Amino acid sequence: MIALNSENRAAIAARHPEIFRPSWRRRSMIVTGLGAAVGVFVFGIVQLDIPLNRLSDGIFMLGGFLRLMLPPDPGSWALALTCLHALGETLSIAFLGTLGGALLAFPASLLAARNVVANRIIHFLARRSLDTVRGVDTLIWALIWVGVVGLGPFAGILALVCSDFGTFGKLFSEAIEAADKKPVEGIQAAGGNHLHGVRFGLLPQVIPILLSQVLYYFESNTRSATIIGIVGAGGIGLQLAEQIRVLEWQKVSFLILLILVAVSAIDWMSSRLRFAIIGRRAIA
Amino acid sequence: MRAAIPELPQARLRELTDHYASAVAEKRRQLWLGSALLVGAVLAAGWMGDVDPWKFSENFWRFPAYFANMVPKFSFTSAWADLSEWFWGLPRWTRLLGDTLLIAYVGTLSGAIGGFVLCFLASANLVRSRTIVFLTRRALEFCRTVPEIVFALIFVLAFGLGPLPGVLALAIHTMGALGKQFAEVVENIDSKPIEGVAASGGSWLQIVRFGAVPQVLSNFASYALLRFEYNVRGAAVMGFVGAGGIGQDLIEAVRKFYFTDVSAILLLIVATIMIIDFITERVRHHLIGLQGAGT
Amino acid sequence: MLVVEGLTCRFGTKAAVDDVSFSVAPGSFVGVIGRSGAGKSTLLRMINRLADPSEGRILFDGVDITALRGRELRQWRARSAMIFQQFNLVGRLDVLTNVLMGRLATVPVWRSLVQLWPEADKAVAMSALEQFDMAQIAAQRADQLSGGQQQRVAIARALVQEPDIILADEPIASLDPRNTRIVMDALLRINKHFGITVVCNLHSLDLARSYCDRLIGMAAGRVAFDGAPAALTEHIARELYDLEANEVIGGAPVKAPDAAAIPALGSVAA
Repeated sequence: MIALNSENRAAIAARHPEIFRPSWRRRSMIVTGLGAAVGVFVFGIVQLDIPLNRLSDGIFMLGGFLRLMLPPDPGSWALALTCLHALGETLSIAFLGTLGGALLAFPASLLAARNVVANRIIHFLARRSLDTVRGVDTLIWALIWVGVVGLGPFAGILALVCSDFGTFGKLFSEAIEAADKKPVEGIQAAGGNHLHGVRFGLLPQVIPILLSQVLYYFESNTRSATIIGIVGAGGIGLQLAEQIRVLEWQKVSFLILLILVAVSAIDWMSSRLRFAIIGRRAIA
Repeated sequence: MRAAIPELPQARLRELTDHYASAVAEKRRQLWLGSALLVGAVLAAGWMGDVDPWKFSENFWRFPAYFANMVPKFSFTSAWADLSEWFWGLPRWTRLLGDTLLIAYVGTLSGAIGGFVLCFLASANLVRSRTIVFLTRRALEFCRTVPEIVFALIFVLAFGLGPLPGVLALAIHTMGALGKQFAEVVENIDSKPIEGVAASGGSWLQIVRFGAVPQVLSNFASYALLRFEYNVRGAAVMGFVGAGGIGQDLIEAVRKFYFTDVSAILLLIVATIMIIDFITERVRHHLIGLQGAGT
Repeated sequence: MLVVEGLTCRFGTKAAVDDVSFSVAPGSFVGVIGRSGAGKSTLLRMINRLADPSEGRILFDGVDITALRGRELRQWRARSAMIFQQFNLVGRLDVLTNVLMGRLATVPVWRSLVQLWPEADKAVAMSALEQFDMAQIAAQRADQLSGGQQQRVAIARALVQEPDIILADEPIASLDPRNTRIVMDALLRINKHFGITVVCNLHSLDLARSYCDRLIGMAAGRVAFDGAPAALTEHIARELYDLEANEVIGGAPVKAPDAAAIPALGSVAA
């Protein structure tokens, strides 16, 4: 049958030389790409002076830690209550941080949206300053705010407000720019001024989207809020860092478990709310 | 003026407005209820989070003062000398920034490879065994939900101070996050090519290689780049817990109140992140435009 | 010789295929006809083992196909080439690679994974493409082709599997009349010149009558008719198709080319 035809392989090869010639160009491109990726990887390991021989010892030690972690156990009721209180603090930080960041970011995002403020300079400045704020990690903001208002959850709230301000500002302004132009034109054609257009044409379109984005970030902020305690900005991270430092592994695993449960609960709740607000189809 | 709209009799008008009001009443009630809940939540959270407006307003002056301290002395007559004094540690900081980028790169790449391998096991359309899918998913979720800095804290104890725990922490977190995103992409692919390859007698690996991978590769690359962007930020703070990179110098400068050093390092970090964001965004747009040309 | 014994497939409580038995002699061209939802597709997918039977057996040359696992199952799938209504090509890959998918069961796994196909396999694939006049588009991406071209690529893929039997699941349902003709003629050529058994699901009764040596009519998962096309009276056809009858019966009868007039494979491009 068809295999018979391969007896005249030479003839087929002669008719389609481009298929049978090894494609050096394509192959060399793939090899160069992979080589570069691996090269940088190896360079990184050498440059960072990563002691690969410590890898096996470390993994062995990790195994030991893991054994010590089981079963998770807060040790005493008093500590369990402290941990729960810290968790409450974390959730408060996440909630107020997200809310504050969103409230502050909303006017800023209007300035940064090209279809609201037509002035190029304002637009450029707003964008760049949002980028600058966004470039500073939450943990760094926490460090700064601890310096200003002292240790405690309040510094954490302010840190989240700051980093969310940058993130939301960018997300919001992109959502606003992606909105449909036609309703705005309709308002203006009916005699409305630019502000009317924004208020009645633009905002009703984007508010549900913005709300859904805020809810989406609530989950990721809960995770951020669990760690800012490491630099002293309140919440469960403080406990966690402390227990790791004193090698109380069962308490560590109890705290991690608490964090997992809290984050999953928030995730579940925020996605339920998002579906309620904008419906399943439009999840960005 | 000509009246195109006739004036309604009072009774009719009242009837219509009442109708409208009752129609929107339910919506309005929900809005009120929502606002009340929100205010309640804010108050509860404020109480829980020790929010003290008094303390805040009393101490607020410190915030601008803090930033004012960070501004170095600078005059145009001695611009060069002032600048070089401000950025006195530039060679060391550039090296540390380079380290930070490398930590992010090595961590992202290892994590992406791990996520790539695991995502296929977590996809219900490729794996028949519910148990494997369930277990892989839970493992990925665990890696994703525990913040990378917590991994770093623990790894520093196991592997010692230095970039190694930072790289590993980023790698594990990235594996979880990308694995989950990748699996979502894989579950949404067209099933027909997979069936075609299976019907020709392809093994599981071949089905994945030829049926699934060509469909998802460009999406995967785009997600991995986005994660790299995120990991550069993450790597910048790894030094806070002794896991390498520029964070070490930053936290030291903050703790010891070397204000101008703080601002110099912060500026360098922000500039680096902006450049990385710019480049990855360009590459991602290019990737989306290509939408997987072959392989 | 393909033997199907008491084959049943249930989805929940509903039986898509219900106690079906028949045997197919080597070299025959069998048409499976019936309304949509009669279980034709599930029957073919069970023979290729894309769907698992709930009861019953499938035997090929005395080997129980339903018991195969792992490597043996994959080799059986290669021997029973499947052609789909929606072609099921990998759109992002080029035409040649798509045809080479038919060699997966024989090429060493590592070679296939890094796409270092053996020269001999490439030659077979190109030869198959030449037979359908598609050699010059071997390097194009499959999703840029028309439906008719895609189905011909899929047939080329089936052919390089060197199958004993070809299972075609509504191969022409997504094609226009001209491409319908090309594809059905190709199946007929493969059947007559290489003696490969073809089992083909068809919705259209006229096509089935003109191309097949034997028809199996299915209704509600059961075999309702089994015999030569001539034995299928209008009365039986109406019962088979019920409400859809007018849609598939009547209309211009399609005339199949007689076997002598079919050009030999390979003669087109040579």
